[in-house]
Amino acid sequence: MSSREMILANIRKNTQTKYEKPDYRSMEEHAIRYPDLIGQFTEVMKQMGGQAVLLQEGDDLNALIRSIYPEAKRIAATVAEVDTAFGKQTVDCGAFHPDTVPAPGDLDGTDLAIVQGRLGVCENGAVWIEQEVEQRAVYFIAEALVILLDRKTLKNNMHEAYPLIETGKYGFGVFISGPSKTADIEQALVMGAHGARSVTVILV
Amino acid sequence: MSTKHSEAAERFQKNKSLAAWHDETLWMVRAKRDKISRQLPEWEELRQMAHDIKMYSNSHLDELLTEFERNATANGAVVHWAKDAGEYCQMVHRILNDHGVRHFIKSKSMLAEECGLNEYLEEKGIEVVESDLGERILQLMHKKPSHIVLPAIHIKKEEIGELFVREMGTEPGNNDQTYLTHAARKNLRHKFIEAEAAMTGANFAVASTGECVVCTNEGNADMGTSQPKLQITAFGLEKIVPDREALGVFTRLLARSGTGQPITTYTSHYRKPRPGGELHIIIVDNGRSEILADRDHVQTLNCLRCGACMNTCPVYRRSGGYSYTYFIPGPIGINLGMLKAPEVYYDNVSACSLCHSCQNVCPAKVDLADQIYNWRQRLQQYGVASKSKKFMSDGMKQLMEHPALFNAALGVAPLANHLPRFMMYNGLNDWGKEHEMPRFAQESFNEMWKKNKIQK
Amino acid sequence: MGIMDKKIGLFIPCYINAVYPEVGVASYKLLKSLGLDVDYPLDQTCCGQPMANAGFENESVKLAVRFDSLFEKYDYIVGPSASCVVFVRDNYGRLLKEEKHRCQSEGKIYDICEFIHDVVKPTSLKASFPHKVSIQNSCHGVRLMHLSAPSELNIPYYNKLRDLLSLVQGIEIVEPERPDECCGFGGMFGVEEHAVSGQMGRDKIRRHMETGAEYIVGADSSCLMHQNGIIARDKLPIKTKHIVEILASGL
Repeated sequence: MSSREMILANIRKNTQTKYEKPDYRSMEEHAIRYPDLIGQFTEVMKQMGGQAVLLQEGDDLNALIRSIYPEAKRIAATVAEVDTAFGKQTVDCGAFHPDTVPAPGDLDGTDLAIVQGRLGVCENGAVWIEQEVEQRAVYFIAEALVILLDRKTLKNNMHEAYPLIETGKYGFGVFISGPSKTADIEQALVMGAHGARSVTVILV
Repeated sequence: MSTKHSEAAERFQKNKSLAAWHDETLWMVRAKRDKISRQLPEWEELRQMAHDIKMYSNSHLDELLTEFERNATANGAVVHWAKDAGEYCQMVHRILNDHGVRHFIKSKSMLAEECGLNEYLEEKGIEVVESDLGERILQLMHKKPSHIVLPAIHIKKEEIGELFVREMGTEPGNNDQTYLTHAARKNLRHKFIEAEAAMTGANFAVASTGECVVCTNEGNADMGTSQPKLQITAFGLEKIVPDREALGVFTRLLARSGTGQPITTYTSHYRKPRPGGELHIIIVDNGRSEILADRDHVQTLNCLRCGACMNTCPVYRRSGGYSYTYFIPGPIGINLGMLKAPEVYYDNVSACSLCHSCQNVCPAKVDLADQIYNWRQRLQQYGVASKSKKFMSDGMKQLMEHPALFNAALGVAPLANHLPRFMMYNGLNDWGKEHEMPRFAQESFNEMWKKNKIQK
Repeated sequence: MGIMDKKIGLFIPCYINAVYPEVGVASYKLLKSLGLDVDYPLDQTCCGQPMANAGFENESVKLAVRFDSLFEKYDYIVGPSASCVVFVRDNYGRLLKEEKHRCQSEGKIYDICEFIHDVVKPTSLKASFPHKVSIQNSCHGVRLMHLSAPSELNIPYYNKLRDLLSLVQGIEIVEPERPDECCGFGGMFGVEEHAVSGQMGRDKIRRHMETGAEYIVGADSSCLMHQNGIIARDKLPIKTKHIVEILASGL
């Protein structure tokens, strides 16, 4: 008998009472909601060590990014153009596309990555990112991360978010909530353990 | 009257300032958990839902695991089944060997710890690098984790500073946490890039999608799996959840309970291998399917490994992770150790005052304290019950079952003002190390009542 | 039939009987002063909790049988110890499942504070205690008997001990930091794990003292006995008192 068969047989032999699957709806109905989604998202992003910036009418997206990360030289972007509340804007900032490097390790030394979020969650600042370039490393290896997120995609809580996410053709997606962090040395909170040291979500 | 735990705990308490720091620091994590849980009015309902989902999934493991396997295979992953630790280690090694891997980077996995994976691979000549900062520190120090979420909580920054001077060439005497963390970031960057394979555990495996979900704050799992194209993900079979709606429940609870954050920084969903790469998923039993048969302890399989029960446990906070003989400490570790090998790990059962706080913080409402009570009842049947404790208990039983004896003992006690001899035997000498003995009343309540002194 | 017509059997746990009989006396007086029909069935010993918590539940069975029959003729069993009472409530059904004749102690037993708060519901007491007291929220009282809202749960604050103490003239009531962290008694835990137990007790007493209270007041003499032993050993400037002694202080 294969290990697979042995394990499954053992499970069947040993399982005692079978319990029904609970109905999630009551939970989803009672889950927290916020009257001001943008305000709540902005607040929770701060708690998570990042920031959310609301694009204003007349703002130039590239100038805005430049003003937040003036030191960034090597900039990668997974997105060339974005729909904002005030019309289309192109993303350049002199950025290169991450799939133009031969190996993921070549992305080391990227100062800033500009990527697109699919939805944001107001209870925790998490933004869903669906992998849309081959070099997945771009989401994690850059020193700073700018996530462009449609302000209309903000959801109250994870129950609202989960039915809407996709992992796409690359079969990978991640909720990112603020910068990479650790408290492994005496519980002192430090930003930038392995991933981005700084995260800005621009609500476009 | 002592156990390996109580002896180690006594040694831990000898360093008063470190012990107090440990208690305060972990209590702070508990307090953060309390605070953030109160931001959700539906918190208690959420815990109940998590419990109910786990009761469902752990009683339908055969269906859910095969559903997972079907979907993961359709996604292009290779699914393996390991019945025990040995088979799991061999599988990982075979996969690495087939691909000529010499450098292997891992994110934190309690399963790998449970199965002794690092030691196994290192013996075979493969360099294993832990990428979680706490785990990396411990690996370089050749030490074991003392907490499942905060593995290096017992290590002081000065020791880490000295270690990093040797290992990473940091400035001697600079023990600033930010400085040390960023030194490790730089040092490990190269390890990620040179690795030929990366491994993660899984917090959840989703049956309906065949994906594995990994939660980290550092981003180390993602750094690893986005460099080499060979990924191995292994999980204990109780990590299965039915669908993404269930993830909605668990991801809301996990970090809030464990560290007091609303969610971990990264919640990654691995569904397919990278283009031109391979994704191997190992489903591990290693005794879990046996736990299903034990009605009193089956709920240990509901554990999310958030660590909240450790942070709240007044005994864990004051005795440290190393005082437990099983590799997982605290309330959940006491229970998991007993399920693994009661004749080996029974010493930890003493490490509980039955305060029941653990059950109240557990996001999946595991009945941790009730289970510890139950293990104490079973120690006799394993032949490992404390003889002196049994002697005391027997003595009390004899006395209490015979009111005349009890009343006589109480009549004599105040004269000498000490406890009856059976209570003094061995055990209460230890009570006397911390306390003055209680003084017996000149007349017991029973005597006073008999003499009509109370009722008027 | 009202509560005044019910027969109440007073349950005096073994260590109160032996070490703190004044707590038993105060309990009796307090219940009588509320106009209740109270009796003490003679020759009580122990409910069996110490043996069971130490892992020898089978040694508690005979005691449970004895307890059950001692209180057969009463409508309520009321005792001044949350921990002992809740042991009977939560475990006797299982311990006595083989017994044919049962008086169902577990269904009619109350801790005295719980009983007065939930069943008798007095709106005033004659008591006066012009001192500052810090409440000892005991683990079993809080988490098994629900005398107060456990600090871990996201439920509205309540505290039955505080409610009752509020009826006492001149009293000032506070709770320590970490209001329901275990004090470390735990029966034989305190013996077997004496180093941790002692530290837990010292930490608890320090937090009580930091409130500026003169007394640590609780519904479990076991927690108070443990803390008292440390207070005496370390010569600390705080005293312990069982809550019924305060509630009965004017009697």
